[in-house]
Amino acid sequence: MPKPMSADSHATPASTLAQSYEAPANVYDELKAADGSLRSHWQALLSRLDSLGAAGLDRRLEKARHLLHENGVSYNVYGDPQGMERPWSLSPVPVLHSADEWQRVEIGLAQRARLLDALLQDVYGPQRVLLEGLLPPELIFGNPHFLRACHGMSVPRERWLPLYCADLVRLPDGSFAVLEDRTQAPSGAGYALENRIVISSALPEAFRECGIERLSLFFRALRDTLQWLAPHNRDNPRIVLLTSGPYNATYFEQAYLAQYLSYTLVNGGDLTVRNDHVYLKTLSGLQPVDVILRRINDDYSDPLELRPESVLGTPGLVQAARQGNVAIANPLGTGLLQTPALLPFIAGLCKALLGEELLLPSVRSYWCGERWALREGIASFSDVVVRRSFPQGFVQPVLTAQLTSDARAELLRAIEARPEQYVIQERVHASTTPTFTEHTLSPRALVMRCFAVAGRDDYVVMPGALSRTADAGEGTEASMQLGAGSKDTWVLSRGSVTNFSLLPPVDRPVPLSRGGSALPSRATDNLYWLGRYAERAEGVARLARVVCGRLNDLVNQNDLEHSPEFVALLRALSTQTSLNYTGGLVVSDSVDLASAQAQLIAAVTDETGPGTLRSCVSSALRAGRLVRDRISTDTWRVLAALDDELRIDDAALEREPMGTLLDVLNRVVLRLAAFSGLAIDSMTRGHAWRFLDMGRRLERAMTLLMLLRSTLTQRCERGTPLLEAVLEVADSSMTYRRRYLARLQLPPVVDLLLTDETNPRSVIYQLDALTRHLEALPPAPDGLRSPQERIALGVLTELKLCDIEWLCTPRPAGDRPRLSQYLLELGARIPALSDSLSDRYLNHATVSRHLGEGDRAPSSLVAASRGDEP
Amino acid sequence: MKLRMVHCTTYVYTDAVTTSHHEARLTPRDGEHQRALTHELTITPEPKTRRRRFDYFGNRVVHFSLSESHRELEIVSQSEVEVSPGRVPELATTPPWEDVRDHLRNTRQRDALDAFAMCMDSPYVVRFAELAEYAAPSFTPRRPILQAVRELVSRVYTDFTYDPRATEVSTPLSDVLQHRRGVCQDFAHLVIGCLRTQGLAGRYVSGYLLTHPPPGKTRLVGADASHAWLSTFVPDHGWVDFDPTNDLIPAGEHVTVAYGRDFSDVTPIRGVILGGGKHQLRVAVDVVQTE
Repeated sequence: MPKPMSADSHATPASTLAQSYEAPANVYDELKAADGSLRSHWQALLSRLDSLGAAGLDRRLEKARHLLHENGVSYNVYGDPQGMERPWSLSPVPVLHSADEWQRVEIGLAQRARLLDALLQDVYGPQRVLLEGLLPPELIFGNPHFLRACHGMSVPRERWLPLYCADLVRLPDGSFAVLEDRTQAPSGAGYALENRIVISSALPEAFRECGIERLSLFFRALRDTLQWLAPHNRDNPRIVLLTSGPYNATYFEQAYLAQYLSYTLVNGGDLTVRNDHVYLKTLSGLQPVDVILRRINDDYSDPLELRPESVLGTPGLVQAARQGNVAIANPLGTGLLQTPALLPFIAGLCKALLGEELLLPSVRSYWCGERWALREGIASFSDVVVRRSFPQGFVQPVLTAQLTSDARAELLRAIEARPEQYVIQERVHASTTPTFTEHTLSPRALVMRCFAVAGRDDYVVMPGALSRTADAGEGTEASMQLGAGSKDTWVLSRGSVTNFSLLPPVDRPVPLSRGGSALPSRATDNLYWLGRYAERAEGVARLARVVCGRLNDLVNQNDLEHSPEFVALLRALSTQTSLNYTGGLVVSDSVDLASAQAQLIAAVTDETGPGTLRSCVSSALRAGRLVRDRISTDTWRVLAALDDELRIDDAALEREPMGTLLDVLNRVVLRLAAFSGLAIDSMTRGHAWRFLDMGRRLERAMTLLMLLRSTLTQRCERGTPLLEAVLEVADSSMTYRRRYLARLQLPPVVDLLLTDETNPRSVIYQLDALTRHLEALPPAPDGLRSPQERIALGVLTELKLCDIEWLCTPRPAGDRPRLSQYLLELGARIPALSDSLSDRYLNHATVSRHLGEGDRAPSSLVAASRGDEP
Repeated sequence: MKLRMVHCTTYVYTDAVTTSHHEARLTPRDGEHQRALTHELTITPEPKTRRRRFDYFGNRVVHFSLSESHRELEIVSQSEVEVSPGRVPELATTPPWEDVRDHLRNTRQRDALDAFAMCMDSPYVVRFAELAEYAAPSFTPRRPILQAVRELVSRVYTDFTYDPRATEVSTPLSDVLQHRRGVCQDFAHLVIGCLRTQGLAGRYVSGYLLTHPPPGKTRLVGADASHAWLSTFVPDHGWVDFDPTNDLIPAGEHVTVAYGRDFSDVTPIRGVILGGGKHQLRVAVDVVQTE
């Protein structure tokens, strides 16, 4: 490993990229000193960037973007109707810190974390800080995040703050200051990790040469700590990551971390409390949970004792924690300290609680509840940042400099009316750091989110950070919610870099296991639906492709009138895409070319219809997102690419509709094949795979029955082309030709697609597979055949005994009512099988309801408990 | 005087409930004016897990959960309490309300601190300008605090109409103030809100009240209900109760079960159920004097 460059700032070699970089005046610049010289710890990186040149860097930037897109890194933006997932924005040039300056950050952060831990311990205990006047009582008693239900609790290992993170800025004098402390459910460490993975592969040479501290050390510490906190099963505790769900801003990160740390990703409904212990509901029954890594806000985590309207939480969780039966990181109640109102008091508390001088100060802030502070704060009101003391959810800080004088006066009146609800902060001039845009380096304002985890002795600080940048001059309120960019953060190593990865250490024997981590019922449900939607998409894509091909061949209306088989296919497509299976078939005998084309395009691209290709793929993607931690990165990439394919360029569609559509459909069919191939090849044969495959089998059987019924039961003038098309849709043309050569007739086609046990595309094949899956699932307690097994076996047996020749005999009118009736009846039993399966295995997903306050039912508990006058 | 209370709550569900978790605050507190003699909480079906604890405010809580399928849940609380008329200071001799306000803001002793906590907004009682305006006429400069509060309570009694159909538990205080109708819970919240707008402490009290049948009628068993009132804090004296629904200072016929910032802290029975379909609720309360 090469040593980092010596701190000799005289020997600054010329850097072409750096030369054109102009650091703004009056702020600290990370790259250049005030005299314009390059800071020495950047030299190794810059010479590497110079050798790549602007064009090379452009290519690396493109590579980074590609990787991020393929990995599906995203950030949800609340209230954004245009698809709430926003791609993650990452700059290819990292932020660099020398070992010495980082050490200051480390020591300061660890001290602050120890302080906040002590403060929590006190506030949820004797409240010495209030009795001694160190903290205004309003900050605790008037704080909606002070959870009285958690007062007096003892937490495992007496660690009130296992995880801590803070947003740091660097002031013009080069010192660091804290903009905000995060104590509730700190987010961002996973994004920092993803940034590292992407940048280290976009700039592998620079990463090697600079000697960078590895992030994995931090994640190992995190894992050790969570294990150490476990109240039971300390050797091998079950640890789960409790997510706030796919609509949370950082859901991607939560799923990503769960996968990286090998924890089961669960939401509140996956957990249940029995006898004051927490359990995970899985297919094989209840599994005890020892540690919860919490990403849900504390007040939402138990509808019994905390917020009654919460549907995210687990009833009884507070009681389980109170009894010491589960460790929650961070413990419930820690959100209390996440208030800017606390910032002015930190230095005093540090002296009183730790007996130390505060090393890492807060940005100058005034809590307006104190008269003198209000006076000071509004003295320079034209250019300050105003924040709510106790924000509920995401509340944007207000920069008074950006307000009209009327709005400013109005804000001032609001503050004077309820001063304790406001905090006024000095507007800081954050340091700038180079970002690569438009082929050149230009300065951006920098905020770093730094992370610490409690170790047995002291806090371990992540050697790195999630850095976010905003246009210089825009202020420091950079947040992903506001669409800021992000950066990897490199801390140069003092000596040699410890290479470490999160794979288990070699010195500890790993017990052999065939199990894998427990599968929550909810994950099972989503895998099942992922299978169903992917298969439904394939059915629509195949049918649409055949329709598209035929339509391409029809030159004019006359051709169309001589192709009755086309009408049958179009009918099948419209039936399938509107999911109108059990309802009556839409029979439209006269079709014109233009409307046929429009129907086809709608069947593929329409976003609102429930069964169109586009919505099937979106649904598959949505289900897939909920089980991101269960499917491989490759599988996810295939799914994400599918979605991209269907964002069809309108201009191309206008220019050459059928050609464009055919290309798209070809690629979609291929990608779907890749998806099923990956599922077959890369998933272990556990319950996850089984439910994914059951979803596919069930859907395929339904789709086929629907196809056969809507094409082959009506009279058709030109039978042969229709049979050809049906075989093509069902991907069975080759098999047919091999078996029967060119003699196309209806009964053999029906046999091949319905009752041929050797054809993997036949209905009977799906039922056979389903039956075998059902047998392998955990049995019912009474040991009897389950209702779903009985349905599947019934359908299977019926198919085995079916007399194809008799079924296919047409009436003199040319239609086949026997076949039609048979397919209809069979088709109705498959959804029944699906329902029964859901009831048995997947319906743990029922949401619990709250009785009592807030209940508006006229005959509820509330009516009586409100105390009518005697 | 000894009072016996029976408080019976029954839930009937249309579908089976598979698991449920509950918290009950039905056990009378021990205090200066009352001594809890006996208490028994009978739950059917018998829960597997049942624990007792004190909550943040020192109320007794029974936490229980059921993990066997059931269609009906019955909770019967029976208690016997000895009550005595409280010692209420001469209203005119109590300190000026401004002094109490400043004392609460500036004193860092446990009792004053806990009282100061009752000066702040809580889930059901959030201060607003009209509330302060309504309260203001009672709080003339240097008026003895309890005189001011006594008058405020009388004003609420006179200005507001008791009407169980006018409000429900989620009706905001601003609606109650605007329509001038409500039940004891609303009136308690209203007075608490008024006190807090003046920087004074308001504490919500839930409990029972001994009822007297109209002359010539016999008492109807089970026709009573739980009741709510409030207290305010006076330094060197402690908490003093007021009942705005009946325009009086409780004296020996009120039994305190629990207190907190507002109704949300003292809900008699809270529960979260899985399954159950629709539910029906029956509550019967009976208070009788035994000695």
